[in-house]
Amino acid sequence: MAPFPSPGDPGDHRQPLPSAWPNDSYPVLRHVGDKLFRHIGKPIERKEDQRLVTGKGRFSDDFSLPGQTFAAMVRSPHAHARIRGIDASAALAMPGVLAVVTGQDLLDAGLVPVPHNPVPSTRYDVKLTAPGGGKPFIGPHLLLPVDKARHVGEAVAMVIAETAAQAADAAEQVEVDYEELPFVVETAKAFAPGAPAVWDEVADNVFIDSTYGDEEATDRAFAEADHVVKARFHIPRVTAVTMEPRAALGAFDAETGRFTLWAGSGGAVRQKRELSEVLGIRPSALRVLSFDVGGNFGARNRVYVEFGLVLFASRLVGRPVKYTATRSEAFLTDYQGRDLLTTVELALDKSGKFLALRADNVSNVGMRCVSLSPLSKGSGLITGSYVIPHATLRARAVFTNTMCTQAYRSSGRPEVTYAIERIVDIAARKLGFDPFALRRMNLVPPEAMPYRNAVDSTYDSGTYEANMDRVLELAGWADLPERRAAAKRRGRLLGFGFANYVESSIGTPKERSEITVKADGSIAVVIGTQPSGQGHETSFAQVVADMLEVPVAQVNIVLGDTDIVSVGGGSHSGRSMRHAGTVMALASDRLIEEALTRGATVFDVPREQMAYRDGRVVAEGTNLALDLFELAERTEADFGPLASVADNEMHTPVFPNGAAVCEVEIDPETGLVEITRYTSVDDVGRCINPLIVHGQTHGGIAQGVGQAMWELSYVDPDTGQPLAGSFMDYGMPRADGLPSFTAEIAEVISPTNPLGIKAGGEGGTTPALATVTLAVLDALRPLGVSDIKMPVTPLNVWTAIQKAKSNPNTDPEAWQE
Amino acid sequence: MYATNYLRPKSLAEAASMFADAGDAAYVSGGHTLLPAMKGRLAAPANLIDLRHLPELKGVSADAGRVTIGAGTSHAEVAANPTVKAHLPVLAGLAGSIGDIHVRHMGTIGGSVANNDPAADYPSALLALDAIVTTDRRDIPVADYLAGLYTTTLEEGEIVTKVSFAVPQSCGYAKFRNPASRYAMAASFVARFADGVRIGITGCGDEGAFRWNEAEAALSARFAEDAIDGLALDPGRMMGDIHGSSEYRAHLAKVMTRRAVTNQGMVLIQP
Repeated sequence: MAPFPSPGDPGDHRQPLPSAWPNDSYPVLRHVGDKLFRHIGKPIERKEDQRLVTGKGRFSDDFSLPGQTFAAMVRSPHAHARIRGIDASAALAMPGVLAVVTGQDLLDAGLVPVPHNPVPSTRYDVKLTAPGGGKPFIGPHLLLPVDKARHVGEAVAMVIAETAAQAADAAEQVEVDYEELPFVVETAKAFAPGAPAVWDEVADNVFIDSTYGDEEATDRAFAEADHVVKARFHIPRVTAVTMEPRAALGAFDAETGRFTLWAGSGGAVRQKRELSEVLGIRPSALRVLSFDVGGNFGARNRVYVEFGLVLFASRLVGRPVKYTATRSEAFLTDYQGRDLLTTVELALDKSGKFLALRADNVSNVGMRCVSLSPLSKGSGLITGSYVIPHATLRARAVFTNTMCTQAYRSSGRPEVTYAIERIVDIAARKLGFDPFALRRMNLVPPEAMPYRNAVDSTYDSGTYEANMDRVLELAGWADLPERRAAAKRRGRLLGFGFANYVESSIGTPKERSEITVKADGSIAVVIGTQPSGQGHETSFAQVVADMLEVPVAQVNIVLGDTDIVSVGGGSHSGRSMRHAGTVMALASDRLIEEALTRGATVFDVPREQMAYRDGRVVAEGTNLALDLFELAERTEADFGPLASVADNEMHTPVFPNGAAVCEVEIDPETGLVEITRYTSVDDVGRCINPLIVHGQTHGGIAQGVGQAMWELSYVDPDTGQPLAGSFMDYGMPRADGLPSFTAEIAEVISPTNPLGIKAGGEGGTTPALATVTLAVLDALRPLGVSDIKMPVTPLNVWTAIQKAKSNPNTDPEAWQE
Repeated sequence: MYATNYLRPKSLAEAASMFADAGDAAYVSGGHTLLPAMKGRLAAPANLIDLRHLPELKGVSADAGRVTIGAGTSHAEVAANPTVKAHLPVLAGLAGSIGDIHVRHMGTIGGSVANNDPAADYPSALLALDAIVTTDRRDIPVADYLAGLYTTTLEEGEIVTKVSFAVPQSCGYAKFRNPASRYAMAASFVARFADGVRIGITGCGDEGAFRWNEAEAALSARFAEDAIDGLALDPGRMMGDIHGSSEYRAHLAKVMTRRAVTNQGMVLIQP
């Protein structure tokens, strides 16, 4: 087998695979561990694009069945209301109506709540508990509520009719007798004394309250510190706005008693497991198909009630039932993102060295808890990219009368990155340090890796200062004064916003891969992740192609049918490439072992004489050789298909990291912010496909910038009504509002997995909230502005300028609130 | 959307008689306000009568110092029309800044003028360019036409057939768009005539587009950007929402007016 190139071989930038991570052993690879990479690292064009751009994608709503019927939801117009009764008689009398289903009907049929498991479960996730410890109350998630509606838009009944229009018309005729109740929608108000309780079981709405870190040491460090700065930030609510609204088609086969669900999601295996439990059926009695998915960003990772409802209804009416959300329903009831209130305090010594950090984070999960990922992920990263010896964190989660939040692109990390980068910036401004020098002197140095932070996250690897140097160079730091002066001549204020970031990629630990060498000359790889635009069919094929030494074109990735894909964690937390890459390497390794064993039999030579080279099994010292496909054909009769299966469980997180710069110009008269440059350096570990990673970075930047600049799921605190319910009011990032990005990939190989992968899907998003806000504050500093809320819309910028004008002597302490 | 009948008359007379006969009818001429309202189940006319294709509503002409545009002319057609571009390039630019490419190819000037959306572009041009709205029944000067939010003095069943605009010595249009919808949050159309300046402001007035008389007087006396420095619009007469408070809109309208003054002959669109 080909040996590794020696380090430093001229022209060879390939790095050896890392040795096993000391804390968490990953599988030893016998055959593929020292492959030279032919495909990995190459910008191979995406195999799936031809299909997707020519309209051949198979999205959920593309599926239809003969005789199908349609579901429409009756949704609550109130933020909080007791359901005193539901009268369906008028609706049932409407043309084409087949059934009206209420929460009571579901209870009578024995359905149970969705078994959300919101507390992150890997060994490395921060442990969140109820106040006083123990298992938290999360708010049972029946497909339809029987007691109360708890947010505007919550489905309280379902109508099934012959056509979608008939179902929608009849849904309006379902009379729900509501008793309106007091409600609370704002994060900060949810845990204030006297706030209306969303659940009777949790009187103060606080259902998670946990504290981490060494409180005593932190208190001591604060007491001894020369400086302390404190600030409170709210990272507001946004929604994913996937291009494809969620949709589901459910069918029940009375003969076999089996259900089938066509529904795009973040992973079909979870949908199958949880929905079969809801319906009270064996998992094998439900098949879930999820093929092409038009955007996820986290919003599709959990079960939606409509998915269970169409299944239930398909058995009830004896015909397939289809549901497709309107864009309005998506704005109201897609799982939403962010919404964290954070108070941070940083202690420094005279020289600027960070001594300790305190954080108090409150996550608004909406009216029931489907996921604590945002709170948990952020909790482990409150110290950011910096050496902060002591830290404590109080992490709380609260219920409000709003739609549920869920992991949303880079779950929890942009929030805490925003907090640490802003408090560091505030410290620099307030105490008179250069903000770049202050960051630099406190960065985790490469020699400290693996670095365990004060809240017990162990950063695996990274060259943080090198990222910072490189991004400043790429961003034109040296010419900044000239650009600033030129902007000023045009009547514009230029702002330069910089942020370091480190994030974690953990994710569901289990993944399985099955590899089969097929007679048609292709290799089928079954995997349980679910792409929604990330290009898995290409990047995964690159890995298997390298492992088995075959062309990429011969490798087909099989996804999204639970009859084929039995195990799999789906795609979230940047887990896919790392988990899939590892388990595919393991399955490839086993496939080669099997091939060598079969080869020895075919050639009638001892097993030790066999070798694997260039996709062929070779009997050393002879000219006997067969490629994988010939071998598969030759041996199928005796040994069955040439195939392998591997299961892997990997808990160790990795820590993608980087640095980014946003440069803006502001029209001080209108408050308009224009992003003129955006630069990022992202350490993704080993990069399988730089073309795809750059695409992910660009999309990630747009998504982070989107929240900072335009997006806001605004709910009127006086009425509880969401006011950004369409594109008329929900501002989206658009191509004409973004510059051409300068993005560079840094590859510091992670020691935690065989391929050295970190993650590349979220790094664009993680620092963007901070870079944009800091750029705007940098631009507005001459006008006396020291704080601004997101999104930095023209109105908010103008308002901040007016505030600073009317109150020019604002004490920097005003930063505190 | 509720069930609705789509009717496509071949002539103006047929359209009017359809309206009279149908009961619970609405004209549609592009439908970029009406159709979203119908999809949102906020409007439910039983009969939709499409005016876009009526031959009587087509055509653009220029004479006697006025440009006349058929009501069925799409925004894209106005933007690209050689006559409009020759005589009123700023109006062509305004049309080219409406909505997005889909809207501009479906939406018509007649539809926009009849709808009088407070954030639409055309009403500002109507006011600044002393427009006359011609219908199947009469000619209506703009002063007698616009009547508040989504309201005009059109009678039941009356159809706008064309709109004529006076050609000024020069004019300019500056628009600040809502960052989400991209409708005007405040926009100012400033036109300079021999006998004075006319200003149409749209996007911000709580009764729809309006003329800013004080600024007209100041700019008629002295056409310079600082001529309106001492003036301010009353926030009490402005709309306010999550994208722009009434104070911000009043401020923006003034800034846009100043920019339209300094950019005569141009259309300035931000963001």
